[in-house]
Amino acid sequence: MLVLSRKINESIVIDGRITINILRVEGEVVKVGVTAPKEIHVLRKEVYDEIQSSNLQAVGASRSALERLLSGKKPALQPVERVVK
Amino acid sequence: MLTIEQNRVEEKIIPLFTETTLDLRFPCGLLGFEQIKNYKLHAFPDIHPFLWLEAQDGDGLCFLVVPPPYVVEAYHIELSDEDVSFLGLNEPEDAVVMNIATFHPDGSITVNLKGPIVHNRHTLVARQVVPKNAATLSIKHPLSN
Repeated sequence: MLVLSRKINESIVIDGRITINILRVEGEVVKVGVTAPKEIHVLRKEVYDEIQSSNLQAVGASRSALERLLSGKKPALQPVERVVK
Repeated sequence: MLTIEQNRVEEKIIPLFTETTLDLRFPCGLLGFEQIKNYKLHAFPDIHPFLWLEAQDGDGLCFLVVPPPYVVEAYHIELSDEDVSFLGLNEPEDAVVMNIATFHPDGSITVNLKGPIVHNRHTLVARQVVPKNAATLSIKHPLSN
């Protein structure tokens, strides 16, 4: 891993198109600004990990679930508003 | 920021009762599957209200997704300006929201409300977004029969 020391208001440029600015340091919290092209998806890692893991679990079960649904074993779901109102 | 509330199922947007296929393009892929960008979204009446999202350029990657009105009574997501611009949304009605369902070995089904799939119904550009209100949304919302 590349380790760089930066001061407040200094930046790091990645691949000429992603800029990471160190904005503020408040105690143990570092405020970071990220400027990137819109096709670059910037996410907090713990959220990324949670959704990635959910996607992996969903993929693993999807084929057998499709077969189950096609064989008629499916929940009788109605739009929730119709059930409630 | 754009707030999207999709609490009704409109047949003209999601033709759940007619066999239909949409070619969705995910320029960023799905989280964990970034390299896979082209999917087909199939509506098969036999699996209603689920839809089948199948990758075109991966090795058999596929998901079952469900429109949020079948999962929760009131679902709203707040999209960041970056996501709105990426998807080219001008108004909430341009967006179609789907949630990925996970079928567990014990027969239960949970739905990911935290990382929905949003596509632009006009351009069919799609993205798995993390809404600004993600902290209030469940990643394993139980689906009741």
